[in-house]
Amino acid sequence: MSGGTGAASLQRRVLLGAVLWIGLALAAGGWVLVELFRDHVEAQAEARLVTAMDQLIAALAVAGDGTVAVAPPPADPRFRQPFSGLYWQVGEAAAPLARSRSLWDAVLPLPADEVADGALRLHRLPGPRGAALLTAERMVRLPQRADALRVAVAEDAAATEAAVGRFTRDLSVAFAVLGRALGLAAAAQGTAVLRPLARLRRRVLAVRQGAAERLDGRFPAEVAPLVDDLNALLEHDRDTVARARRQAGDLAHGLKTPLAIIAAEADALTAAGHAEAAGILRQQVEAMRRQVEANLARARAAASRDLPGARAPVAAALEPLARAIGRLHGREVTLDLPAGLAFRGDAQDLQEMAGVLIDNAAKWASGRVTVTARGDGAEVVVIIDDDGPGLPPDQREAVFRRGARLDEAVPGSGLGLSIARDVAELYGGSVSLEDGNGGACRAVLRLPCAVAGP
Amino acid sequence: MRVLVAEDEPRLTLQLERALAAAGYAVDTAYDGDRAHQLGEAEDYDAVVLDLGLPRLDGVSVLRRWRAAGRTMPVLVLTARDGWSEKVAGLDAGADDYVTKPFNTEELLARLRALIRRAAGQADPVVRVGAVVLDPRGATVTRDGEAVPLTAHEYRVLAYLMLHKGKVVSRAELTEHVYTQDFDRDSNTLEVFVGRLRRKLGAGLIETVRGLGYRVPEA
Repeated sequence: MSGGTGAASLQRRVLLGAVLWIGLALAAGGWVLVELFRDHVEAQAEARLVTAMDQLIAALAVAGDGTVAVAPPPADPRFRQPFSGLYWQVGEAAAPLARSRSLWDAVLPLPADEVADGALRLHRLPGPRGAALLTAERMVRLPQRADALRVAVAEDAAATEAAVGRFTRDLSVAFAVLGRALGLAAAAQGTAVLRPLARLRRRVLAVRQGAAERLDGRFPAEVAPLVDDLNALLEHDRDTVARARRQAGDLAHGLKTPLAIIAAEADALTAAGHAEAAGILRQQVEAMRRQVEANLARARAAASRDLPGARAPVAAALEPLARAIGRLHGREVTLDLPAGLAFRGDAQDLQEMAGVLIDNAAKWASGRVTVTARGDGAEVVVIIDDDGPGLPPDQREAVFRRGARLDEAVPGSGLGLSIARDVAELYGGSVSLEDGNGGACRAVLRLPCAVAGP
Repeated sequence: MRVLVAEDEPRLTLQLERALAAAGYAVDTAYDGDRAHQLGEAEDYDAVVLDLGLPRLDGVSVLRRWRAAGRTMPVLVLTARDGWSEKVAGLDAGADDYVTKPFNTEELLARLRALIRRAAGQADPVVRVGAVVLDPRGATVTRDGEAVPLTAHEYRVLAYLMLHKGKVVSRAELTEHVYTQDFDRDSNTLEVFVGRLRRKLGAGLIETVRGLGYRVPEA
């Protein structure tokens, strides 16, 4: 199975989307809030300016010579403090008639345009020392003068700006904290939402390692159909393999009986004196039998090898086998098989491989055969010891050759060991003969281990 | 010596029947599991050759039923499925040995002889009583080293008595083990065979135990 690494991680996608949306939402919200705050602060400043201007207009007095005086001057002490940031001015910018003391030698640069009498105008104007001024102006017509007077009150905008700046800073900090919290929440949610998938992955792994036959457990409604489909697929796989194995068996079975008839006929021919013809027949029957057996064993193992969830408890497979072989040969077969140890494959295949080795050991043993199994990392190791004469190291490989038989007097097809090795290798395992106790023979079968069940 | 062959393939059954008859056995045949089961329950066989792939009732079930009913005759299982799982199933059900198809007729006969011998408690493949030697391997009988020609029925009577030497064998039991199931049995004929055997092998070989049957002495 290939890993689907092409697509971006779901978790990352969820997180990325969440961060993007949270960022956009917070930025837009922040901007709106800052603008509202600015409007509010400016409206307050304007209200202050208008109040100050009303006071100023109320205090305007025109002397008999037409000169303008402000009495009493507006109360706010900042109007008297030079460049305090709060100013008033009466008259055109080119020739002001009166100014607040705070303006000192500066003039509010009011535009000299025509404005309707009484209309209020708001400006931003450059003020003394480069300050930006928020300015309110109005044309006022006094009874003693023919012309309208331009009256303006200005306040340095820096205070307003500073307030907005402070607000923006505070808001940014608050929003940053909020954004972080939301991001973490999104990540946590993503993990929580994806947790069933992680669980599903663990279950699938368990099935692949032979710890479980199917995907168990309750899954959320969104994942459950996928789990059901996977289970159906596993079921279908198992059925297909079982059918394939059965068909391979039936095919072999179907061929064996006709072969038996031909072989028996050959034996009858020998009895009737046609030894040569009978010999040819027997040879061909033997060749066909080998073909059938080798291919059957291989076909069965190949079908089961990659089946997910395949699991064969070693003790359950070997106990009846050892009992039967022991009885058959009149030998004592001692077993030491830990419970819970399982082969990742088909029980029948395990019986075939171990059966060949135990049978072989029982044939050569003088009285006792010992079968030991243990887990060794990812492997199941089955060790079969006999107390027979042993086998010289230089002959050990030879017995795995197809049709090899060390002693024609001991019955056996000679096909067994080579098939056992074939099947073990198909499963990624091995079969070897080694030195046993006291010069006797030891067969070692190594096979992939199924991890412990859930 | 009487044997049941339970095998569904007629040609193979015929071949086995011929080979077994040539080896001196009285042979009954069954083509399906039901029939095999019936015969095995009702008749006394010295051995059974049982195919596991029988129709109607499979061989393992037949065997299990026999053993459950206390039938102890040796059973040689014949199987086309050579996997250990099948052998284990057969042996666990109570088979004494197995032969896989295709088989060598000589090997099958040798295994069958060994089973019958083991069941009768005989260690030696050859049975000796005095100067008479019976060799089931070639279905031959010699007296003082000279071959004595016997008919199939005479051989079976002698073989059964000699394999159970020292024991009294009733006429009924002997009849069971000498004739096939469809043979027209007549106990007079049994006496005719015993008479001929005494003539050919010496009067002392087969004793008549009045009211009980026949006996071949231990030595």
